[in-house]
Amino acid sequence: MTEVVADWRPLAAVLVSALAIALIVASHRRRNVRELWSVLAAVAKFAIVLSMLPGVLDGREYRWSMGMVPGLTDEFVFGVDLALRADQLGMLFAVLASFLWIFTAFYCAGYMRGLSEPNQTRFFAAFAASLSTALGIAFAENLLVMFLFYELLSIVTYPLVAHDETDEARVAGRKYLAYTFFGGGFLVLGGTVIIYWLTGLADPADVEGVEAGESTATVQFGEIAEPLWAVFEAGAAAELLFVVTFGMLALGFGTKAAIMPLHSWLPDAMVAPTPVSGLLHAVAVVKSGAFGVSRVVLDVFEPELTAALDMHVALAALAAFSFLMASFIALRKDNLKRRLAYSTASQLSYIIMGVALLVPAGVAGGLLHIPAHAFMKLTLFFCAGAIHVETHTDDISKMAGIGKRMPLTMSAFAVAAAGMAGIPLIAGFVSKFYMLVGSIQMTGDAAIGEPTAAGFVFASALIISGIMNVAYFWPVVYTAFFESEDAHDAKPLVEFPYGGEKASYGVLGRGGEAHADGGEPVTDGGSTDDSAGQEEREDSHTGEHHDDHEHGDHHEDGHHDHHHHGGAPPGGWVRTSPREESTWLMLLPITVIVTGAVLLGIVPGDLAFLDLVVEIAEAATGGEVAV
Amino acid sequence: MTEELLPGLLIAVPILGATLPLALGLFRKRVGWSVAAVVLAIEAAIASWLAYAIFVDGQRVIHVLGGDNFGRQQTEVGGHDTEGFIVGIELVADHLSGLVVLLVALVSLAVLAYSRREGPRGNAFYSGYLLLTGGLMGVVMTGDLFNLFVFLEIVGLATYALVASGRSAESAVAALKYLVIGTAGASLYLVGVGYIYVVTGTLNMVDVSRVLAGEPAWVADVIGEGSLYGDPLVAAAFGFIAIGLATKAAIYPLHTWQPDAYAESPDAVTIYIAALVSTSAAYAFARITWTMFTPDFFAQSAAGQDVLNVFLALAALSVLVGSVLAAMQSRVKRMFAYSSVAQFGLIVIAVGVAVHPAAAGTRAVEFAVYGVVIHLVAHAIIKGGLFATAGAFRSGSGARLVADYAGLAKRRPFLSGAVAVLGFSIIGVPPTVGFIGKWYIGVSAVEAQLWAVVFVIFASTLLTLLYVARLLEKLYFDYLPEDAPPHAEASAELATDGGRGSETALPYGVASLVAIATIASVVLGFMGAELTAMLEPLVEAVIEGEPEVGA
Repeated sequence: MTEVVADWRPLAAVLVSALAIALIVASHRRRNVRELWSVLAAVAKFAIVLSMLPGVLDGREYRWSMGMVPGLTDEFVFGVDLALRADQLGMLFAVLASFLWIFTAFYCAGYMRGLSEPNQTRFFAAFAASLSTALGIAFAENLLVMFLFYELLSIVTYPLVAHDETDEARVAGRKYLAYTFFGGGFLVLGGTVIIYWLTGLADPADVEGVEAGESTATVQFGEIAEPLWAVFEAGAAAELLFVVTFGMLALGFGTKAAIMPLHSWLPDAMVAPTPVSGLLHAVAVVKSGAFGVSRVVLDVFEPELTAALDMHVALAALAAFSFLMASFIALRKDNLKRRLAYSTASQLSYIIMGVALLVPAGVAGGLLHIPAHAFMKLTLFFCAGAIHVETHTDDISKMAGIGKRMPLTMSAFAVAAAGMAGIPLIAGFVSKFYMLVGSIQMTGDAAIGEPTAAGFVFASALIISGIMNVAYFWPVVYTAFFESEDAHDAKPLVEFPYGGEKASYGVLGRGGEAHADGGEPVTDGGSTDDSAGQEEREDSHTGEHHDDHEHGDHHEDGHHDHHHHGGAPPGGWVRTSPREESTWLMLLPITVIVTGAVLLGIVPGDLAFLDLVVEIAEAATGGEVAV
Repeated sequence: MTEELLPGLLIAVPILGATLPLALGLFRKRVGWSVAAVVLAIEAAIASWLAYAIFVDGQRVIHVLGGDNFGRQQTEVGGHDTEGFIVGIELVADHLSGLVVLLVALVSLAVLAYSRREGPRGNAFYSGYLLLTGGLMGVVMTGDLFNLFVFLEIVGLATYALVASGRSAESAVAALKYLVIGTAGASLYLVGVGYIYVVTGTLNMVDVSRVLAGEPAWVADVIGEGSLYGDPLVAAAFGFIAIGLATKAAIYPLHTWQPDAYAESPDAVTIYIAALVSTSAAYAFARITWTMFTPDFFAQSAAGQDVLNVFLALAALSVLVGSVLAAMQSRVKRMFAYSSVAQFGLIVIAVGVAVHPAAAGTRAVEFAVYGVVIHLVAHAIIKGGLFATAGAFRSGSGARLVADYAGLAKRRPFLSGAVAVLGFSIIGVPPTVGFIGKWYIGVSAVEAQLWAVVFVIFASTLLTLLYVARLLEKLYFDYLPEDAPPHAEASAELATDGGRGSETALPYGVASLVAIATIASVVLGFMGAELTAMLEPLVEAVIEGEPEVGA
């Protein structure tokens, strides 16, 4: 059984980066010192979290509560404690976030300096704050503390989304706040309050650990399910209430996890600088949403009650719909970051579906996808950012032949993309495999029995989605390495209208409009009219970015913009060696993280994640992960 | 000096002190602020002593006006034993009023710090200020219905004068509007009191409660077993009293005086009245509904339930309409004024939930009581702080409209940070005190299973976000066109009116008020459990329908 130990380390892990905020702001004039604080805080945070890992793997839980501060009591509001508890599920998220932050700190420094971004102090301070709150979410002992940090996360990531201070950034920021506060302040808070009430309706005799005359109301993870189940069986509240509450909590956390139809804040938030998109939207913010959904299914309602309400099928179906739709939409995106955003929305729903399967293998697969996807997606975003800094290219249509200019970056991209599709030897395969097995095993009730039709549907959805992942990542890799600037094909999925292009696209071009965006390089007189015609089509059909960007607006170092104006320079891409293609500040993180993704695929059992995940899944579902 | 004198002193000291600035002003010119400071410091000390007696010693402090000739005596009138019914007026300091009294005293002192450099000058102003403080103390502590009316009028008159001290035409019109609507409200309240007097023959809140419940022997002689709750006059009385007090607390649709009064009065006055005047009206409403009418009335009287449901609906509308209107405002002070309409809607909802029949026997009553008290205090601190920052922005940077705030965060980081923290507090983001109140109110509504109300309470988070986020976005992520750095875009067109004036430094008093409000809103947010522990006697009294709290 789990032994609970009182310890200051969960609080220390949360607060170390909050402390860093003050230091970052104080050293705003001295860039290297300021960046150093970020790195030191990240290393310290990871060290603290790592120190708790062996104990947690052994079955211990570390708990900090407000009563450990002299003069204060545990209680935050009546009947609810302000406490942090490092348990297995929390450690999964905490280890991941703190490890990745170390390298993101380096990457941020390289990125921000490469573009000479303004407001860098605010940026780094907000980053530190968001990691603080992310760990608070990971270690929250009950729904209310989790809500507390959830709201704080929305608040501290807002300056990162609206960082550029342009109209587009402000609009994206408003949308972000609207969605996350709707999910958090409305749905999650409402759900939490209803849980508090419902658990209070139980008879103390039915709940162990509660004396007669005491209240059974609780919002603490692991303790909610028992009174809730007692109330459900006694019929003291309508079943509809349970269903609605589950829906509120799942959708509330799911908003941050970009589940459809609440996903549309995520692509718009891509206006933020790429490190923000990377860590926050691929790792911390969206992962905290998926983590929240996992908590709801595994520690609030727990598999037994979830199955009794049939909510696991509903949630898995919504997740499956979500990942298929998002993959479809991603196929059409020319802007690389937007494509990655939809890919994130899609992959996050894998996690939710995996957890909703309620069988040990499915849960294990879903939870393992949290770190697996994080490593892979972060690599992809870092590559996108490096490309932007070095070549100011954001659109896939302009990336033909870019593998010459950025070999290391694009190789890492290729590896990570393969992992996303579920190719073996890379992290994504392991989690997907578990999830496939789990969906076949899924049944209508919580006990493992005969497979059901629903399970097969979900398994097929997973496979189809894998194929679509290939469909939207392969063109990027192909065009980077196997095409060149002056001879590349059109991309039908991206550029042509729905229903396809009526004329053969090899036909001579439709007459030249002057293209004011730098156009394509013409290295010899024999360039095909393909390229001219293509350009026109790209401009008229790619719907994402309709900035007619003036040709005269060259990039100077002091001028940052993210208009999609890049593309190969007039002489074509310059072949560069991996050591010179970009700054080490960006290349080192890319290399480390893609290596991590590969290691997770080759020896998953040696990195703590798989062990944690298997233990969590077995404890929650009561079965064995027999794969 | 025993504690019994303290309530009387709390009222007498500021009222008598109100004459001093005018009197001493004959000899020295600028004596008003100093006199007010001394008087209010004494007041704060007395209020602290009283609070200590109530919360630490657990006393219920009663002061009978007029001394030994009056008070509760065992006598016989017309052959009936009066059972200790009071002759005269008593001031009651118990757990509810003691807390609000402390709030009034401390806020009065704090706003004085603000007005030293900013506020209206003039001895007449400080006389009015002290008079208002005395009136507020009276409203909070009195145990007599008619006496409450008198003090409500004193508060009203002093407020009208202070609002009009803005000396502009708009201030005068705003004061007049407030006067007309406020007096109408007070008159309706008086009608309700009259009905109560007709039914019960007494004006003391505790005694009225006993008569309505049918407890005294001489009532039972007349009507037999049972209570007077079914009498239509009683339900009508509740309706009139509630409307009257709702006008003073600015509930939709009786709120129309508030945006003008808040926006047109001098900044120091706005802080004071926003923090305290509507608060005292809401306190009076809570006191009368909880301890005079008690949940038993609403359980037994169908007409009473109807009136209660109407009030819950109006309060819910307040929340929705107030927030939406706030989001539409272009002037910052008006925006905050509408925000108050919404917040008081939440408080009135919780007052109603505490006595609602659906809440009987559940924990809803307990949580509603906690929610009302905590949110009353929270709102006073937060709104006071927000108006202080608005005033500081106006006098320091000339910013009155939301659009004027563009990019001010770079020049006024401290004030902007305060706006951010206080703004999140009023949205209800933990761990601030604004969240604690909202949590308890939300839990109480859920426990009572009043789902429409639950929806409104949680929707209020999003609605509040509308206007707070707008302001914060302007402060931090927007620029005036002439200030915008090369990478950013300003959302406004280039101004042709000469733009912003020059920046002046922040006065010490202003900064300290803002700092205290901000810090308090976060620190109190961690004390949610301690605050509830203090209020347990009040909860017991409400649940049992006992008019004497902590007796």
